[in-house]
Parts: sequence; C-alpha cells; structure tokens
Amino acid sequence: MALLEYALIGGILYGIFFSLVGIGLNLIFGVMRIINLAHGQFIMLGGFGAYLLARGLGLNPLFGIPLAIAGGIVIGYPLYYGVVPRLQKSQDPEMLSFILFFGIAQMIEAVAVFAFGADQRSLPQDALGSGNIGVLGQEFPDSWWVACLVSVLAILGLYLYFSRTRLGFATRAIMADRDEARATGIDVDRVSAIALIIGIALAGIAGVFVPYLIGSVSSSIGDGLTTTSFAIIIIGSLGNPLGTVVGGLVFGIGTMLMQTYYSSWSNLAPYALLLAIVLVRPSGLLGKAVRRA
Amino acid sequence: MRKPPAWRGPVLVLVALAAIFAVAPRLYSNESVLFTMMTFMALAQGLNLLYGFTGYLPFGYVGFFGTGAYATSLLVTFTSLPVIAAVLLGGLAAVVVGLILGPLFRLSGPYFSIANLAASQIIYNVVANEALKPITGGPYGIKIEHVYAPTASYVTMLAILLAATALAAYFRRSRFGLGLRAMHQDPISASLAGVDIVRERLIAWLASAAIAGLAGGAYAWNLSVFYPEAVFTLQISVFAIVFALFGGVGTVIGPLLGAALLYAFYAGIGVSAPQYFELLYGLLIVLLVLFLPNGLASLLTRRKVDVL
Amino acid sequence: MSSEPLLRLENVGKRFGGMTVLHEQSFSLAPGEILGLVGPNGSGKTTTINVISGVHPADEGRVLFEGREIQGLPIFRIARLGINRSFQVPKCFRGMRVRENVEVAATFARRGAADIEAILAETGLASHADDIAGSLTVNQQKMLDLARALATNPRLLLVDEIGAGLNPAELGGIATLLKGLAARGIALIVVEHLLDFLNRVTDRVIVLGAGRMLFEGSLAAASKDPDVVAAFIGG
Repeated sequence: MALLEYALIGGILYGIFFSLVGIGLNLIFGVMRIINLAHGQFIMLGGFGAYLLARGLGLNPLFGIPLAIAGGIVIGYPLYYGVVPRLQKSQDPEMLSFILFFGIAQMIEAVAVFAFGADQRSLPQDALGSGNIGVLGQEFPDSWWVACLVSVLAILGLYLYFSRTRLGFATRAIMADRDEARATGIDVDRVSAIALIIGIALAGIAGVFVPYLIGSVSSSIGDGLTTTSFAIIIIGSLGNPLGTVVGGLVFGIGTMLMQTYYSSWSNLAPYALLLAIVLVRPSGLLGKAVRRA
Repeated sequence: MRKPPAWRGPVLVLVALAAIFAVAPRLYSNESVLFTMMTFMALAQGLNLLYGFTGYLPFGYVGFFGTGAYATSLLVTFTSLPVIAAVLLGGLAAVVVGLILGPLFRLSGPYFSIANLAASQIIYNVVANEALKPITGGPYGIKIEHVYAPTASYVTMLAILLAATALAAYFRRSRFGLGLRAMHQDPISASLAGVDIVRERLIAWLASAAIAGLAGGAYAWNLSVFYPEAVFTLQISVFAIVFALFGGVGTVIGPLLGAALLYAFYAGIGVSAPQYFELLYGLLIVLLVLFLPNGLASLLTRRKVDVL
Repeated sequence: MSSEPLLRLENVGKRFGGMTVLHEQSFSLAPGEILGLVGPNGSGKTTTINVISGVHPADEGRVLFEGREIQGLPIFRIARLGINRSFQVPKCFRGMRVRENVEVAATFARRGAADIEAILAETGLASHADDIAGSLTVNQQKMLDLARALATNPRLLLVDEIGAGLNPAELGGIATLLKGLAARGIALIVVEHLLDFLNRVTDRVIVLGAGRMLFEGSLAAASKDPDVVAAFIGG
C-alpha cells in the first residue's frame, strides 16, 4: 500500500514536471504546424545552462530560468525568420520541418559534445534544498517539489498569457486558423515568432530541472526527451498546449508505477504508452494526428 | 528518337553495382568499409522504397534492421539452419514486425514517423532487456563467431543491395509504382482513380522492412559478435535517412549515390571525429531541406535529364 | 421507372462529431439522368457527394448502386464499380503531367479501355497534355479532375461546383459537355450555386437546407416553394 502511494504521489510530481517538458513542443506545433524535433536538445541546453551556472559560477541553478528565457530569445527569433516562413510555403511543412529540425538537433548535439564532452553531468544535490518533503507519509526530495512548483507556475503563466493578453489572444486566433488570423490583421509572423521563443524557453526551463529529475544531463539525452515529449503531447491532445498536463500526468503516474512494480521494463513505458494510445484510440485522444483520408 | 527499352537503365545500374563491389576488394584492402558502405546503400535504398515512393518516413527503420540481425543470430544459435537461410528468415521476421505495425498507417506523416521510432525503441528495449539474457544475451550482446565468414557475408550483402535496387527500379517504372506516385500526391484522388492505396502502401512498407531485415541479418553475420546498440542505434536510421535525402529520394540512383558519397566521407573523417561529422550532416540536412529538398538527383531532373 | 434505378439513397444520415450534417436523405437516379443539388452553404450538398463516393461514408441508411449496397466500401472499390466525381477544390496529382493524371485512372479503374486523347480533347486539355498538372489554372485543374473521373468510364458522375469562376462562354461549353455525357447514359449529380447554369443542364433538382431535403422537383417549381425561399433568404 505504501508502495502504491509512493508511486502515485511520485507520479503526480513527476508528471507535472513532464507536462512542462512537453508543453513547448505542443505550443510550437499548435501555432506553426512545425514539428520541433530539436525539442529535446533545447531541454538539454537548458540543463547545461544550469550546470554552467551552478558548477562554473557557483550560482543557484534556478538562475538557469532567466538564462533559458534569454536563450529562447537569442535562438528562437533568428530561427523563426530564418526557416519558418520558408517552410510554410512548401508543399508539406510538417514533414519538411520534421526533417529540418532533426538536422538542427544533430547540430546542437554536436556542439554540446564539443563544449561539454559526452559525459553525464550532475548538479549539486542540495542546491534546491537538502531535505525531503512528505505527503501522506511519502517523502520526496525538495528538488522535485521545486521542479513541480516551477512547472505549475510556468503552465499557469502560459494559461494567463493565452487568456489575459492581447498577444495570447492573437496566438489563439492563429492556432484556430492561420489564414483567417492573417486576414483579420494579426501580425502572424511576429506572434508566431514569440510563440517559438516561448516554446524554446519553456524547454530550456524544463532542462534546468532535468539533472534532478533524471539524475544527470549529457549531450545525448535529447532524442529520448523528444520522444517522451511526443508521447506526452499525443496522450494529451496535439496542438492544445494545456491538454499536455493530462498527458504529463498519465505519463508520470504510468512511469512511476512501472518503476515501482516492473522496474526492468520501465524504459519501455513511454514508448509502449505512445504506441498503445496511437493504435488503440487513434481518433479519441489524438485529434489532429489521424489522417482523414 | 527512339526510346531505349524500359529495362535497360535498371539492368545497367545493377550490373555496374555488382561489378564495382566485386572488384573493389581487390583495389581497396579495408573490406569492412566496403561492407558497411553496401549496408548503408542497401538501407538508404530500402528506406527510399517507403519514403521516396509514399512519403511516409520510417524514423524507426533501424527496428527492422535490428530485428533481422537478432532473428538471424538467434536462428544460428538455436537451430542448425544454414546461415543464409537464417538471413532470409531475418528478412521474414522484419516483414512480420512490419505487418504487426501496419496500423501505424492510420497516422499521418510526422506522427507515423514518431510512432515508428517508438516501436523500434520497444523492440530494442525488449531484446536488450536483462530479463531475456538467457535467450538474447540481453545487454551483453550476442556471439555467432562460429559462423564468421567475411566473404560469404560480403556477397550476401551485395545481393541484398542489388535486390533493393531492383525493387526501387520496379517501383519507379511499373504500373504499381504509378499507383504509389499518385497516392503520394493525393491519396483520395488516387483511390478515385481505382488505386487500392492501403494495399499498395502495405506492399511498399513490407518490401522496405524486408530489405532492412535482410541487411540486418547479413550485417550480424559479418560482425558475428555485437552488442544490441550496434544494430539498434538510432544512428542507423539517421544515416539511412540523410544518405537517401542527400542523393534524392524517389529515384533509383539517388540513394545509392548519396550513401556511397556520404559514407565514404564519414569513413574518411567521421570515424575519428564523429562530432564534426554530426555537425556537418546536421547542417547538410538543414541546407538540403531549404535549398535542395529533392537531393542531388534533382540537379539533373531540373535540367530535364531522365534520371532512373 | 419500373426497373431498379442506377442509384438509390435510403434514409442516409451523416454526423461529424456530435453534429448531424445530413438527415434521412432519400432519392434515386436513373441512367442518363441529371440531378441538380442546390442549397445554401453548409446545407449538405457536398456531404451528399462525399457519402456516395465513399470519401465520408454514411453513418445511417443505405446507398444502393445497381441494386448493391455500397456504403462502407473503400473509395477505390466504389470507383471500380463505376462511380466517380470531381472536387470543388480540384485534387489532381499536381506533380504529374496532365496525361499521366488521366493515365492513372485509365490504368487502375479496371473498367475497360479509356480513350485518353479523346477525354483530353473533350475537357479542353489536349494542348496541355504534357504540362505539369500543378502549373494549370484552377479552372483547368477542375477540368482535369473531370477528365480523371471520365477515364474510369463511370456510370455515375458527381460534379461539385464546376461552374464557379467561369465566364458565360465556358459555362456554355461545360453545360454541353455534361448533357453529352448524360446522352451517353452516364447519370450525373451536379452540385451548383449558379442556378442559370443548372437550368440549362437539368430541370430536376433537390433543394437541401441544414442537411434536410426541402424540395424535390423542377427548378422552376422550387423557386416558388415557401420552404425553399425561407431557406435561401432566412438561412
């Protein structure tokens, strides 16, 4: 019973954090119909940013959050204007963006190997608090609670952006119908560029906590995180960023249950979950992923 | 001007391929580079059978390769079948996996690719699982060094490469291929034209899977001792995709040229400095998508040269 | 009509999500007959065509072609039985040549040989036979859609707003073409907003409003029917 409680509460914490991991990918897809296959590599960069701040400058890893936002602007702005409008004019933007961002992922990974080598790097264990916080008798490290809190704040922030700001409203209009939005005078490129920046920044922020939740950061973790993110957003609802939270929770609880009861097979969990949902309920949870033809 | 017979181009390509790889070991002593080059040419061509002719990108293509490698190795270990039969059955195992994954085609483009990637990771995680150590060797890999035969496996891989190329030529020039092209452009209109798109797509998928499975079997035979990562690393999918794209998908010679050139380049500098190579091919992909989405072959087709 | 009609719909319904877009649609069509489908946007005209051609199968009721139930069959089977269509937004094989577009249909439909050159001439595309389909104008692409459909030797042809954007001379040409097809025994369902055009092709129409059949009869009578008038003005 204690084991089950541990898995469930841990799964909720883990899942809320993984909602943050997936949300940027979903936002970018929802707004631009662009598949950011470099998503996991942006998360990895966030992790290394926090690593540099903590190990190099002795700062609290939480300063990685403003660094991730700055990184999102520096990378996202030129990236948008460099490739996105060109992709959207092509025959099959989804597929071409998929391949193009895969190339970008490879470049980021190569650069990370130059800069940090191939080793796994961890962050000071007590930088986000050295204790444990318990709920219903189950204790989890402070860093998990901090990661969870930041995830909730980031997702809440995104929700407020969508519901309370003019830019957020324009973003929603573009998600509903890009051409219609352009026709009503919305500066689609500017709003989309901001969405790309937010998407990358959210990935970077998630990256700050990856060393705590996964144990370490290394230059090769990107592809796995991208696949996991896909599983989460497909379980949730593609193109609907806030639906990601549902996907994150299903993933988090599922993974924790697997790790608790069938630990040797837990690596399979995200992939099996993705495949099962795709094959069993291609229309229900998936929405846009299903071909109409 | 009379048109040359339809079979002439494909036959020329096949003869040239066979001649080059028959003679090459006499001119260049590092046979393992030649073998791996053929492996990637076969994989690029096999991937082309699906991606080039239907537009579905099998990101988990390596799953078929690994399936073939393990099926062949396990058959060699646990049965007394001749190795060549085990390689053929490795191809069949990949076809069976392809049939099981058939429902993936309910997904459109990128989602198909991601789900296919997930499927390949599942196969890898099952094969390499500690719990299966008595059968597959789990994470510690597999050994079939008692059947190690570099020349026989080299010839087998060449045969697989020729088979993949013959299939691509068939896809390019036949009535079946016409249906695939139409489906690729507009599946609904193709159906209205009477093309059974579900069946055509499945055949292309299974042919593509078979090539990867066979190549995996021959590769395992050539290595004879390997860890699961060696036949399941995502790098194998990645190389097949990049090589095929670089040469030009949807053609017969494009993937062959792309794989030969880029793999030679990789064998030259990439092995010693993989991260430089990774950076370069990452950049290459970005530039290809933006400026040359149909690969090297399109440099010719743009000039109205009829490329096979 | 004592014998079995070519096409018969019996209480056909179609839903998208929770919304019913077609209610209890029933009508029939004889060989060589032309039926016009009219109604405001969203009234279910294109949905009717989609249901018959299998693009969006019916959720309720039966669709009978030559006495055989065809609802639920895959599109290519329906096409091979002899039902074909064009699209409001043309869907040709854009990267292929015009002649190849028609060849695909002639090759795969398995409905006997088609005279590709004659079809290209009939649809005004003979001089573009070697052009890439994507380079044609939208109107030419619509004609190519029609040519692709004709290459399957259909017995029933569904034509979706082929007249939109054409000048009067072009409309006259198409009206003649469609009537010629009917004279050869092909049954046609013509979805059209342009009532003058429709009037030149047929006098039998069905008026749809909000997914329901409001009226069936002659076009002249339709314009005097109170339900129809309400649907067009109030809808």
